[in-house]
Amino acid sequence: MTVDNSLNSANLFSISYRFLRRDVLPLLADLRLAIVLLLAIAVFSMTGTVIEQGQSLEFYQSNYPEDPALFGFLSWKVLLWIGLDHVYRTWWFLGLLILFGSSLTACTFTRQFPALKAARNWKFYTQPRQFEKLALSSELETGNLETLSQILQQKSYRVFVEDNALYARKGIVGRIGPIVVHASMLLILAGAIWGSMTGIVAQHMIPSGATIQINNIVEAGAWSSRNIFNDWSLKVNRFWIDYTPEGAIDQFYSDLSILDKQGEEIDRQTIYVNKPLRYKGTVLYQTDWSIAGVRVKVNNSPIFQLPMVPLDTQGKGRLWGTWVPTKPDMSEGISLIAQDLQGTLLVYDKEGALSDSVRSGGETEVNGVTLKVLDIIGSTGLQIKVDPGIPMVYAGFGLLMISALMSYVSHSQIWALQKDGKFYIGGRTNRAQVAFEREAIEILDRLESNNSLPTKV
Amino acid sequence: MDLVLLQSWMDNISFATLFVTMLVYWVGAAFPRIPYLAALGTAGMAIANLCIATLLGARWLEGGYFPISNLYESLFFLTWGLTTVHLVAENMSRSRLVGTVTAPVAMSIAAFAALTLPDDMQVSEPLVPALKSNWLMMHVSVMMISYATLMVGSLLAIAFLVATRGQNIELHGSSIGTGSFRHRNGKVTPSNGAASTLDLEPAIVESPYPAAESNGSTGTALLDRVSLSVLKTTSPAAAPLSPQRLSLAETLDNISYRIIGLGFPLLTIGIIAGAVWANEAWGTYWSWDPKETWAFITWLVFAAYLHARITRGWQGRRPALLAAAGFVVVWVCYLGVNLLGKGLHSYGWFL
Repeated sequence: MTVDNSLNSANLFSISYRFLRRDVLPLLADLRLAIVLLLAIAVFSMTGTVIEQGQSLEFYQSNYPEDPALFGFLSWKVLLWIGLDHVYRTWWFLGLLILFGSSLTACTFTRQFPALKAARNWKFYTQPRQFEKLALSSELETGNLETLSQILQQKSYRVFVEDNALYARKGIVGRIGPIVVHASMLLILAGAIWGSMTGIVAQHMIPSGATIQINNIVEAGAWSSRNIFNDWSLKVNRFWIDYTPEGAIDQFYSDLSILDKQGEEIDRQTIYVNKPLRYKGTVLYQTDWSIAGVRVKVNNSPIFQLPMVPLDTQGKGRLWGTWVPTKPDMSEGISLIAQDLQGTLLVYDKEGALSDSVRSGGETEVNGVTLKVLDIIGSTGLQIKVDPGIPMVYAGFGLLMISALMSYVSHSQIWALQKDGKFYIGGRTNRAQVAFEREAIEILDRLESNNSLPTKV
Repeated sequence: MDLVLLQSWMDNISFATLFVTMLVYWVGAAFPRIPYLAALGTAGMAIANLCIATLLGARWLEGGYFPISNLYESLFFLTWGLTTVHLVAENMSRSRLVGTVTAPVAMSIAAFAALTLPDDMQVSEPLVPALKSNWLMMHVSVMMISYATLMVGSLLAIAFLVATRGQNIELHGSSIGTGSFRHRNGKVTPSNGAASTLDLEPAIVESPYPAAESNGSTGTALLDRVSLSVLKTTSPAAAPLSPQRLSLAETLDNISYRIIGLGFPLLTIGIIAGAVWANEAWGTYWSWDPKETWAFITWLVFAAYLHARITRGWQGRRPALLAAAGFVVVWVCYLGVNLLGKGLHSYGWFL
């Protein structure tokens, strides 16, 4: 049996559109789905704070053995298969976030916009029975729309009067707030996705005085351009640490220059933690430091610059060391150990015994030679980042802060009607029931006290 | 003046005041007819609030930076926030029940900070480089105030759950406005047919429309409302339309909702301030650090609470249960994560 292909595909399209519209959209916009999604994201986020993230295979094998498995099922095999070692980057967690974004969008169109429209298309109440459904409604013997209108305007309501009916409202901003909240969250999600697709992260450890081309890229999005750093190079004029009088680190500083292809300086700034350098969408952050080398003189030798290397302390603090030959044939030498950039070096002689400590600029006698330490050279650890998603994310942040505050406002409405010698008044609000009740009762009190003084016209 | 001496006086005075205030609120709840107790409770909270403000102000002068950098300072800042939000909530609800739940929590935190915390953890210490930023004040203070606000909101939800145990309550106040309509068919009838057994006074009534209109008694506002609406439906012409007042449980619930509604945007602003700070200092606005993640979890739980209130079929006690769970989540976020001792936020902390 043959089928008309074009008809079939058109049919398929309309069927799937109807399916999306009728079945998928209401499901996505269902508040219960939204709540389940919120709580599911919360629960899976929790697992990432309980189970150590990004550890080695051996770590999970020793901490999550197969027998006895944690809770009877969570062995390292199951854990790694689900991806609980990197929860926030698993396909299912990202899928949940995208589903959450879709639910937000669906909810905005099927619920929030209609609700705002309904709030804007208000009606006067023209029948007394319309007041009966309101909890805060009352029927007064006499009443005056003019007086009520004045009272309401004092309470910053917007008042509309037509014939013998009155409508007043305030706080419609509280109906707009949630819509903007949803929109700004979508903006943040979109900015985060855009940033991860187009962003680049690089890291460099650069000694004081060195010039480098940024090329040690540790992360790059699929659509990022890697030659963004080709037009310029980076010079570290100086790196230093300020210490407090007690010897604790006060702040790290890097004096940086951006050089063009000819080596001309384009920009120069001193950065520290909490103050990065920005250049054409690239941001350089102070994140780490190390000791690169030491400049020494032995007797009357020329100045040697010797590299210092980090020593394995098994996690107990940081130490750097180097070896200085004291005989021309390098058969004897001394070791220098530094633990920070405060300028003090420990000097060990050829037997490996501690001989002296020397400050930079000072000198010491060891192995029968005079060792003069001119300088200890630090190197700065920089994180270099390009994230084109930032403007979107920040715009989302700004809107989210404002709209979350807007959403606190309660939308209050008051109706009044003068009919058949009676005065009907009623109102409702969507959030601040208690405050609105107080306001409504006060309005009623003022109306009644006005009515009870008929002589005062 | 000796700032250190002033501090040690102030932390003990604030603890003692909070302890007495808690007793005053409890006695007031048990014997609502004793005069002046409500005013005394409010005064106690206000005095404790001012003492803690003085304590923190003295530390600010002494340390030269905003006093929120170690556990001791942060606990007292939280207590200050709790007492402030308590005063706001009490003023909103005009109910002294608020103090019966907030005072013990504020007292316990002050007791822990002033008495249990070792002395060397109470002294003011210099800041590490990463914290030397104006963002510290912005991010941490907003976070702490949001924790305090959410805690008070959750405590009120717990009070609501206690006050309405065994009953089926319809909720008022949500962004779509499901409340505000007149009850007709006995929706608020306690499911077991019995009145609330709690003998607590309703919110202070200052108008000619008492909450309990049909029999003028206090304490069983829920039943009164039902009898009122039954009257309405059976003989609409007989009784003129008059306002249907909120019951004590409804007042508690709505104030809980309003306070959480205030804490939620504060939490949002605090998290965003932290994200922007992280981006300015380290180049990433979100790194799934445990503290960040728990702040996000807290945000999600309270977002779920706010949405549960507008979901048909989920109203009643269920959102309040979520809010009560939120109390635990806020504590895990505030202290629990630091017990793990991992991540960026373990600076200057303990254990």
